[in-house]
Amino acid sequence: MANISVFLCKCFGEIDNTINFDFLREELSKDPSVVLISIVDSLCLETDIEKTVSQIRESNSDKVLIAACSTLSRGNLVIESLIKEGVERHKIGLVDIREGCAWIHGDNPEDASKKAKDLINMGIAALQHKDMSDDMSVTVHPNALIIGAGPAGLAAAMSLARTGFKVNLLERSKVPGGMLKLISRCYPDNDDASNKLGPYLREVENNPLITFYPQSKITSVEGDTGNFTVHFSFQEKDSFIQAGVIIVATGAKIFFPTGLYGYGEIKNVINQMEFERQSLNGSLETKKPVFIQCVGARNRERPYCSTICCPISLKNASRIAEDIPGASVFILHRGIMTPGNTLEKYYRDTLSSGVQFIRFEEEQPPRIIGSDYVEAVEVYDAITGITRKIETDLVVLSTPLVPNNDNVQLAEMLDIEVDRYGFFSEIYPMHPLETKTDGIFICGSARWPVSSDHSILQGKAAAMKAVSYLRQSKIAASTLSRVPGLKSGHARVVPESCTGCGNCVAACPFDACHIEKLEGRYISIVNMMKCKACGSCVSVCPNGTMQIPEHNYRMVGEMIKMAF
Amino acid sequence: MNQPRILIFACKWCGFIGADAAGKKRISLPSRFRVIPMECASLVETDAILRALAGGIDGIAVLGCHIGGCRYNNANHTAIKRLELLQDLLDTTGIGSSRLLLSFGTAHEDYQFEEIIKNFFDELTLLPPLDPWL
Repeated sequence: MANISVFLCKCFGEIDNTINFDFLREELSKDPSVVLISIVDSLCLETDIEKTVSQIRESNSDKVLIAACSTLSRGNLVIESLIKEGVERHKIGLVDIREGCAWIHGDNPEDASKKAKDLINMGIAALQHKDMSDDMSVTVHPNALIIGAGPAGLAAAMSLARTGFKVNLLERSKVPGGMLKLISRCYPDNDDASNKLGPYLREVENNPLITFYPQSKITSVEGDTGNFTVHFSFQEKDSFIQAGVIIVATGAKIFFPTGLYGYGEIKNVINQMEFERQSLNGSLETKKPVFIQCVGARNRERPYCSTICCPISLKNASRIAEDIPGASVFILHRGIMTPGNTLEKYYRDTLSSGVQFIRFEEEQPPRIIGSDYVEAVEVYDAITGITRKIETDLVVLSTPLVPNNDNVQLAEMLDIEVDRYGFFSEIYPMHPLETKTDGIFICGSARWPVSSDHSILQGKAAAMKAVSYLRQSKIAASTLSRVPGLKSGHARVVPESCTGCGNCVAACPFDACHIEKLEGRYISIVNMMKCKACGSCVSVCPNGTMQIPEHNYRMVGEMIKMAF
Repeated sequence: MNQPRILIFACKWCGFIGADAAGKKRISLPSRFRVIPMECASLVETDAILRALAGGIDGIAVLGCHIGGCRYNNANHTAIKRLELLQDLLDTTGIGSSRLLLSFGTAHEDYQFEEIIKNFFDELTLLPPLDPWL
């Protein structure tokens, strides 16, 4: 039994107005493990901290229990101040007798005093068994690995390189640029894609900190935050890189709507990418184009909105309406999606340029007239209820972006997650661009279809998040917390009693546990860099081998015993 | 009248914040409940709940974050599944699942916490007291 000194805070009358402190002192003095009972007016002021620390030093106590306000008020401040003064974290306990007792039972002082006594007894019982987690740290490789050299990857590479970190930029194809290479202009400013891409391409070429690996493919990933080893084939040779962080900017791919509206069979039914290609090489000839929106999107199979197809159609439609005299341009849509501060104006500008909009319903899609050449499109206008026949020479299908085929494979290698469509998913809530594994970030269309501007924005944001890891020379596992402050601990296995059943492996939401053969038998090993101390493994462990030392089953058991 | 005793396992990010907010607003609550803050609802061991019931505590409440709002990559989903199984077990053994209150994402605000505690007290008052086994 550890000797415990108890500090009771009156909070200048806030607590002792309700709770009888003489009764508490009397009850506490019966406990043999309590060596010091100190009743003070307040604990959270600076002078009080000094006084408290000197009292702890003078008394013969191993651990300190503070009965004051809750951790969310000023309790944490007291704890942190004590730690600063040299008291170890796991030797401090805090009991909330203000918010959790005095303030909610102000009408019943007698019961409140009894409850305070029970709460303090629970605190003492818990503190007796409170232990400290192990910690580990990893030396950080001060360089980043970026997968994909599209706008997002290029922007991330440029930001990181200009911050002074070495960047390895991996790309599947021969040249950087991604999808921006294939299109002519970008919305909403109608700037040439090559203008947008130029500075980034020049940076890749000229900045010595950026190493570009074209035609490369990742084969396996090992290691943890700050110390990833990525094996990849580079121009058909095996190679590897050690990196502190990984930024996934693999983008998405275009959906080819084979079989829909005669695509693939009829010559003048093309998709937006083909339209971009034709306008890039100057072969585009149309006076009466019809754009059909939501082809293969917002349906049962792909219920999501790809967000970029509406602005793309607006861009291409207004371009033809403005550039070609006498052109008649139609957009057949199921609701135009133009969110944000610039796109709504873009929509209105397109309207005033003479482009006509017709809304159709999912159940009654437009019909193509013509078997090897489309002469007209018949559409039921959902607003006026009139079926209209529109003469055309080109039908452009707006298709959504869909995830790359190897996303699932890559996600498995990196230990991150994909959503139900196959895009990489970030960890929820409040952790944009961050994934299940610390130090791996996602940005651009790999995460969700976004415009080039947003890809660049996200790439830069991911780079800045990466800097917070790269600037450290060593990363301690306890600092890899998703929330402000330190982690509450790490799960710990007792190797002697672990049976290697694997329940913890199945339960861990962060894939921190794995089974290893050690001295002839299987036991569970916890990777502290991944463990977030949620306790999922603890509650499925059949024999209590897996514990979080700061919150172990003995503490909970003793607290339950002392609860009433 | 039966005076029930309640033990609350409150997730640090939801139920505990609600409890704390209720305290800050000085909402008057019945005194016979004790809150044990947990890192996550998934840390609540089923044995701890059974031990508490065997020790004569009349009702256990587990307050966690709402579905999809877990700080620990949906760890609370598994917790819900496990604890619902425990409710079935409590029904089978005759203790009754009404003694285990599971509430996810509903105790984040002070008034929500107040309502949950008061309703749970009312419910347990109608049940006979649990004799301690241990």
